[in-house]
Parts: sequence; structure tokens; C-alpha cells
Amino acid sequence: MFLYAWAILFLPLLGFIGLSWFGDRLPGAKSGYAASAVVGAAFLVSFFAFGHLLSLEPEQRINNVAVLYPWIQAGSFHLDLAILVDPLSVFMLLIITGVGFLIHVYSIGYMDGDPEYTRFFSYMNLFIFSMALLVLAADFFFLIVGWALVGLASYLLIGFWTEKTSAVLAARKAFVMNVIGDVGMVIAAFVAFDAFGTLNFVEIFTEAPKLFGENDETVLLITLFLLVGAFAKSAQLPLHTWLPDAMEGPTPVSALIHAATMVTAGVYLVARCNVLYDLAPYAMYFIATVGATTAIFAGTIALVQNDIKRVIAYSTMSQLGYMFLAAGVGAYSLAMFHLMTHAFFKALLFLSAGSVIHGLHGEQDIRNMGGLKTAMPITCGVFLIGTLTLAGFPLTSGFFSKEAIIMSAYHAPMGNFLFWSLAVLTAGLTAFYSFRIFFYAFLGNSRNPQVKAHESPPIMLAPLAVLAFFSLVMGLAGPAVMHFLAPVFGGQIPVHYEDGLLESIALLAGLAGFVAVLGLYLTDEERLEMIKEALLPFHEILYKKYYVDELYDLLIVIPTKATGKFMDQLTEKKGIDFSVDKVGAVVKQISEEISAWQNGRVRTYALNMLAGVAIILLFVVFK
Amino acid sequence: MLSIIIFTPIVAAAFLIFTRDSEGVSSGNVALAGSALPLALAVGLATSFDSGSGEMQFVETYSWVSALNINFQVGVDGVSLWMLVLTAFLSFIAIIVSLDMKDRRSDFLALMLLLEAGTLGVFLALDTILFYVFWELMLVPTYFLIGLWGEGRRVYATIKFVLYTLVGSLLMLVAIISLTAIHFKATHELSFDIRTLTHTHIPTDAQGWMFMFFFLAFAIKIPIFPFHSWLPHAYMASPIPVLILLTGAMSKTGAYGLIRFCLPLFPEAFSDMALIFGGLAALGIVYGAWIAIAQKDLKALVAWSSVSHLGFIALGIFAMNGEGIDGSVLQMVNHGIIASALFIIVGILEKKTGTRNLAQLRGLKGSMPVLYGVFMLIALAALGLPGLNGFVGEFLILMGVWTSSSLVELSAAYVLMGGLAIVFAAIYMLYMFQGAMQEKPDKLSDNVADIGAKDFGVLLPACILVVFIGLFPKIFVDRVAPTVDRLLSIEKTVNLPTHQDSGRH
Repeated sequence: MFLYAWAILFLPLLGFIGLSWFGDRLPGAKSGYAASAVVGAAFLVSFFAFGHLLSLEPEQRINNVAVLYPWIQAGSFHLDLAILVDPLSVFMLLIITGVGFLIHVYSIGYMDGDPEYTRFFSYMNLFIFSMALLVLAADFFFLIVGWALVGLASYLLIGFWTEKTSAVLAARKAFVMNVIGDVGMVIAAFVAFDAFGTLNFVEIFTEAPKLFGENDETVLLITLFLLVGAFAKSAQLPLHTWLPDAMEGPTPVSALIHAATMVTAGVYLVARCNVLYDLAPYAMYFIATVGATTAIFAGTIALVQNDIKRVIAYSTMSQLGYMFLAAGVGAYSLAMFHLMTHAFFKALLFLSAGSVIHGLHGEQDIRNMGGLKTAMPITCGVFLIGTLTLAGFPLTSGFFSKEAIIMSAYHAPMGNFLFWSLAVLTAGLTAFYSFRIFFYAFLGNSRNPQVKAHESPPIMLAPLAVLAFFSLVMGLAGPAVMHFLAPVFGGQIPVHYEDGLLESIALLAGLAGFVAVLGLYLTDEERLEMIKEALLPFHEILYKKYYVDELYDLLIVIPTKATGKFMDQLTEKKGIDFSVDKVGAVVKQISEEISAWQNGRVRTYALNMLAGVAIILLFVVFK
Repeated sequence: MLSIIIFTPIVAAAFLIFTRDSEGVSSGNVALAGSALPLALAVGLATSFDSGSGEMQFVETYSWVSALNINFQVGVDGVSLWMLVLTAFLSFIAIIVSLDMKDRRSDFLALMLLLEAGTLGVFLALDTILFYVFWELMLVPTYFLIGLWGEGRRVYATIKFVLYTLVGSLLMLVAIISLTAIHFKATHELSFDIRTLTHTHIPTDAQGWMFMFFFLAFAIKIPIFPFHSWLPHAYMASPIPVLILLTGAMSKTGAYGLIRFCLPLFPEAFSDMALIFGGLAALGIVYGAWIAIAQKDLKALVAWSSVSHLGFIALGIFAMNGEGIDGSVLQMVNHGIIASALFIIVGILEKKTGTRNLAQLRGLKGSMPVLYGVFMLIALAALGLPGLNGFVGEFLILMGVWTSSSLVELSAAYVLMGGLAIVFAAIYMLYMFQGAMQEKPDKLSDNVADIGAKDFGVLLPACILVVFIGLFPKIFVDRVAPTVDRLLSIEKTVNLPTHQDSGRH
């Protein structure tokens, strides 16, 4: 019935293959248009599938599997190459192909003039294909395949400017971190196969509640190992260090992969496996804890960073923390709702930051910006919309999705005061750092008068306008989203908690963050220096990102390299290899002593050898 | 047909040894023909192979030493089928690569063909003595190929390799003869036919040491940790074409031997020792990967990564279940394709730039865009990227280990060790690929020409196969699975007369 949904996969795959083989023959900017066209077409198919699902009864909307061919049969393991079309996968597809399309169009302008323009778009198409495979996979195996391929696309695009050493290293770091996550997921798949005899989602999710009780060891193992993958992909503690470095890639990449889509895969995974997570409250509690902790952890770091993209990157980590918090307290569709609004406003922020960088010829340090509102009025406007939405200004989409999460952090059955207070505190920080970059970049006077800023071309501004529109209004779609997704989550629609007091506190926290940063902005230089000096130790810790990178180097990277060298030089050359040679030397010595038998005739040697074999044989057979 | 496949390279080799280039015949064309025909026949065989059957097919029997009932008997089943195709394929590639050879080319090619014939014979022989003969036959050309055309400490390396493997194989000969002796005791019939012998029930104590003798020969050949120390020397000394056969085909004879002999002949001893030897294999996986991280020489890096990947293959066999062994056989094919392609790439880089040291190589992407793409794909397959062929094999192997009953006490530990090695593989493969191809180019890399049509043609089949096997592993695994299922459940119908029985007479 849903066989046509394979087109969502094949279109970008075709784009990738076509552009990487024949792309160089396309003149000018054609490859950008071709790449955008296939993603746009994939969006239309996704939209058709969306309509198709709506036309069905809610209980028929789930478990629709479209098999392409039987993929493997080995031992008791068999698997089809199949996709699962249900509200959750279609919801994700609409975001991936929709936002993806806008970012493709934007990139036509942004990447204009790059010598490897075509290669960029072929990688972008590869990413869309991989991400679509990830969300469409009907089993753990192809989920892992998609999971790893998005990692590959991310690796290729972070390291897109291959001559830049920092980009090459950042790409490798991201890849290795993600392989750690992949291994965790592979092990989760093994546990699932051992327990269920299949990797198929539909079968596992139907069987799981019948076979296992709450917090059963097997379910806990599966869910926790899956989290290794989820946390690595979504940059949650302690597997987050690759995301800020990933900003070495071109800005559209940061918007598409490292904000709107790929990094949310972890949230999608938890939502996809909600049946298993419902059986594992311990794992849920763990998710919520990690989510809340990451939210505040990244939020504090974002306060002091000066690179405009890094601030937004830490903000992404922080917002992903919110999504995990929501999923962890059982409000899966709230997590998905925030995923959607975040995709719009974070893509908007990244792309308008890209517009700023583009307009300033590559400048990324906010201390060298300022006064851009006159030179780049449209960018300034959309950036302000993004900032307001991120900060959760009332009636923007970010307000609806974040408020709902903050409320359920306290009121949901799994919620508690600690989760809630961390979430509220993060809301305050969010307002602070998001307005900090806005003030720095767009208001006041230019701090670097040599650079003549210019507004970006229409092909970049048009996607920004669309994203800004959705960022503003999509909050109203909340109830519709919940209803659409409900069949996947067992028909549940999260309760909307009414609590005037908590709601006001959350709003006040945001206001406080805004007022604080406004105050600092209006303070004169002299006082600012004083404050800076007083807060220096804190500033240093935050600026150095709590020294996590240094810690990993010290505890993991350096010992691993040293051990490799040690094993090469000592264990191998002075140990195993040496002792084998020693055995040889001893044998040689002995044979020299009995060299009376060595008369140089091959016949004698052969005879000796045969005699030796015969003696052993006699001993063995007739002992 | 199978005997034609084995003898074509031998005939071509003999022709080359006697005629040489001077007679107006190009030694290259003879060698190409001598390796192309077996490849064509092998592919034809694979298409007409009955995938539903786990029995030996295309069996041919010719009497050899009739007094002892030793026969020239060959056949293929699901396991040997792919080894046959792989060996024929890699030999053809290796011959193409060695066409550039300037130094005594016709002799080199003749020895390569002999090596191919020996390896093919090992995979096809159904008679234990014939197997042994081919097993030793592989050593002779290898000895000269490394000893005469090698680099560095080539004589030391080749003597070490030959002596080491010889120790193992002589013990195996003892076990081979004892096997027939035990069968003779039970039936009073001489037989060296592996299909007959597998039905003989071997007493438990004899199983122990006979298994060990076979195992040692195979463990050295694969190699399994800690019997690997000949490998870095031999690989470093080998010319690239020899290396293609050494790593791609010959290392598989050891793993093949485990599946063909140790598993069906001594199932009890096999499952008793699986935990320990599986542990050695798992140690080797991590050990090889860890040392690979520390390498700067590309050839050494790939050699050590081979130690790691071959450990995966051995580990899967010790899982003793369908998933694990199917995965191992698939991984043998995968490793054969990937490792040989990597060595070819290393050879190209060395030829073009004059070095294979990562400290000197950098930024080749700009001047070698085609090789960049090929290298990336192969490196990704080698690090086990899901979607490509390497991952299918590793996934099946580790899944087999996880659900294995022979490794159950430590299966989780072995899987974690495998996982660690996969992470390490990502590190050293990217280090190798990015180190050589990316970052700012310098003088050395600016003056390099991209690979030509010939080099691309040699690497293209590998590129196609890593994608194809990743998309359609079923075509390959379907032919393997029935054989593996049969080997795992062989009935022991021939029993030794016990002492109590003979006492009653």
C-alpha cells in the first residue's frame, strides 16, 4: 500500500549518485537546483503519504510495512529490506525533506563560488537519503544502517573543506564518537534478537509487553544500549564533545544536520521505541536526568562563547536536552513537538547566522560584529524572530513547545521538582545567551569598520522568510501534532497541565535572562570590565567548556595511543616475536649439535623427516 | 571442470618456465589467460551451483595411489564455492598488478600461477592427503616470491614464514594419518575421503590432541593471536601482487580448514576449546587494531588491521552457530576484497610518491581525485560502515557470538572486544585515509598524477563488490548456509569397537 514511499529514499539517492558521477558536467549552479529539486520532490511524496495516512482510520495508520526484497537469511536470522510508514516516520520525513529543501535552496546562494559546489550538494543529497532511511527503517538493522550513513554524511560535510586541518580533525572526532554510538546500538540489536528472535520493530513492539514485565533486565539492557547511540548522535552528556567542533563545516550543514535533523535522531529513537521505554522506567529516569543535565550544562557554556555558530551549537545541545527530558518523563509527543518547532527556529537561527557570516566575508566572532541592523535589515528581522522563538517569547512556537515540556517536567508522573527547576533555569539562560548574540551582532555600532557588510541575495533570504513564518505560527499546530502522533504512542495525548504559578515562574525566568543581558549591554565599558574581573574564574571554566575535551584527552586519547605504541614496541617486538625467534634459535642450536646427521644429502633429510613423522605416528596410534 | 580450474594455472606456469619472454610469446598474456580461464569457470560454476543443497557438488574422482585408496578427489560445497571464486578473482587481479614487474617477470608470473593452483587445490580437495599436498605446495612459490622479489629483510621474513607454517603442517600430517588409522580400526577400510571420515566417531581423548594438531596448523596460517608474529614480517617484505594472494586467499585457507576439518571431525573437542580459542581470536582482534593505530607505515597499518579482521573471522567460527559461521565465510570474502584493494592502493601511493609513510604523505586529494573516491569507499568498507559489505559480516559474526552456546560464558566480553576493535578501526582507517589524502597539499603531492585506466580497472571490481554485497548479501549467504547447517549437525555413524566388545569375542 505504501510502496510508493520508497521514492522518498530513491529520489535523494539518485541525486547523490547522479551528482557524484555526472555532476561536474552540469554547467554553473545547475547541480544546486538539481539537488534541491529531488529533495523537493521527496517532500511532495512525504506530503502525499501524510495525506494518505490522514485518510485512514487512526488504528490503521500504524504498522504499515512496505517490503522491497528479502535481504538475508543466515542461521535463524532473517530480514527483509523494508520500510515502516506510520505517523511518526512521516512526521519526521516532513521535517527532514521540508526543512531540508529550504536549506538546499539557501545553499545555492551560500555555497555559490565554492570550487567544489557540486560535491557539496551530492553530500547533502546523501544526507537526506540516509536520514530518510533512518526514520523509515522497519527494523533495528536498517535503522543502524541509516544511523551510520547520516554519521558518514555528517563526517563528509564537517570535513568538507578538506584543506583545513581543524575541519579534518573535527570530522574524524565526530565520526569516531558516532561509531561508539553505533556499537552501542549494534549490541542493543543483539540483545533484542536474542530475546525476540527478530529485529523487526512491529514484531518486537507487539511481543515486548507480553514477554517482559516492568524493568526486566533484558528490556533495560536493550533500552540502555540504545541510549549510547542516541546520546552520541544527539550530543548528550558525556558523548557531546563532537558537536561544537562540527561547526567547522559550512553553515547550511550546521543548520540541516547539526540542528534541525540528524542530532534529533536520538529523540526519534526513544520515541520509536516508546513501547520498550515504557517497560523500562529506570531507563526513562536516566534519559530525563541526562536530558535536564545536558540542557543546563550546555546552556551555561553558551553564555560566554564568542563564536556565533558555537553559541548556537551549545544552544542546540541544550534544546535537545529539553527533548530528552520530555521523552524521559513519558511525554513523547511533546518531545516530537519541540523537535519540530526547534527544527524551524534553529535552522532559521543558523541560516541567518550564515547570512551574517556570508555578509561579513567569513567573520564568526561576535566581538567583531555590531550594528548590522542597518546593513542587513532582513537578516536582522528574521534573526530577531529566531531569537524570540528560542527564548520562548509568548505566542511564538518555541513558547508553546517549551512551556509544555517545563510543565510536564514537574507534573508528569515521572516528573519532579529537580527536573522542573533545571528546565526553568535553562530557560533563563536561553534568553540570556540568545539575546546576547542578537545585541552584539545587530545593535550598536560596527566594531570592525574595515569590513563592509552586505545583505544576502534573495535566494538565501526567501528560505529564511519561510522558516521565520513557521517559527512564529507553528506553535498553534501543537494539538494537531499530538493527535496525529497519538496512534504511535498507544493512543495517548499528553495532558495539558494548568498551573498558573509554575507557568509564571518559567516566564519570569526568561524575562530575567533578557533583563540581565540587556542590563549588561547597557552597562558602560568600565563597569563591564569590573564585573568581568570579578567573575573571571567562572568565566574561565565555562569558556573552556568545563575542560571536558582536556579530560578526555588525558584519560582516553593519550593512554590509548601510548598503549598502541607500547604494544607495538614491547609486547610484539620484544615479547611474542622475540620468543618465537628464540624458539627457532634454540632449535637451531640443538640441531647444530646433532649435525652429524646433516650430510647435505636431500635424501637423508627426507628420510629423517619421514622417520620423525613415523615415530610420532607409531606413538600416537599404538600407545 | 574443477580439475581444469586447478591445472590451468599449473600448465600456464610450466609453459612460462620453459618458454620465457624471448620465444616471441608475451609472458603477460600467458599468465593473464592462465588466470582468466579459472576465473571464468569459477564464476560459471557459482551460477550453476545448487544453492539449496549443503552437499559436495561437481565432485570428480581419479585414482591416485590405489593401494592406499588415496584419490585425486575434488568438489565444492557452499563454503569452498566462494573461496574458489575469491581465489580465482584475486589471482587474476594479482596477475594484472604484477604485469608492471620489470625484474624476471616470467618467473614471477609462473610462481604466482603456482601459488594460485596450490590455494585452489586446498579449497577444492576432498582427499586429506591431497589437501595436505596442496597445503605444502602453497609454501614453495611463496618462499621464492618473498625471498627473491621481496623488500627489506625478505630472507628472514620468508624463512620465518615457511618454518613457522611448516611446524604446524607437519603436526597436521600426523593427525591426518591418525584419522585414517582410527577409521581403519573401526571399519577395516582405508579411506582418506573427508566425507567418509567425518562420520567416524573419534574417541574423546584422541579428539583432543588431533584437534590441537589441526588447529595449530590452521591457527598459524590465519593467523590467530599469538601465532601471528610471522605476519608483519612476511607482509612487510612481500611485493604487492604476492600480498594480494597472501592476505586475500591464503589466509583464508586456515579459516577454511577450521570449518572443513576441525568443526565436523572433532565437534566435541571443538566446543570444549571454543571458549579459549575464541578468546584468543577476540584478543587478536583488539591487539591487531590497537597496534594498527600506532603505525605510520601504510603497509604495516593495513597488515595489522588484517590481524584484527582475521581475528573476527576466527571468532565467528568458534561461535559454532549458523549466524557466526555464515558471517565468517562472508567476511572471508569481504576481507579478501577489501584488504587486497587496500594493499593495491598502498602500492599505487608508494609508486606515485615514492613513500608510504604517513608522516610524509598529505593532501593528495587535489591531484588524485579519482583515487580519493576509491580510497574513501574501500576505507569505509574496511572500517565496517553499515550499508557496505564489511558490516554485514561483522554484524553476523558478533550476533553469532552473542547468541552462541559454545561461548556463552564470555560472549558479552567478546562482543565488547569486537566493538572496541570497530571503534579502533574507524580511528586507524580515517587516520590513514585522511592523513594521506586530506589537508593542505605540499610539493610532494602537487606533482603526482591521478591513477590511470589500468589502476582504476583493477580497483573498480572491488568498489562494485563492496557495495553489491552490502545490498544483496543474500545471494552469497544463501549458498553458504545449507553447508554450514550440515557441517554443524553431522551424524557420527561409524563407531570404534570398544574394548568391552572385543573382550566378549
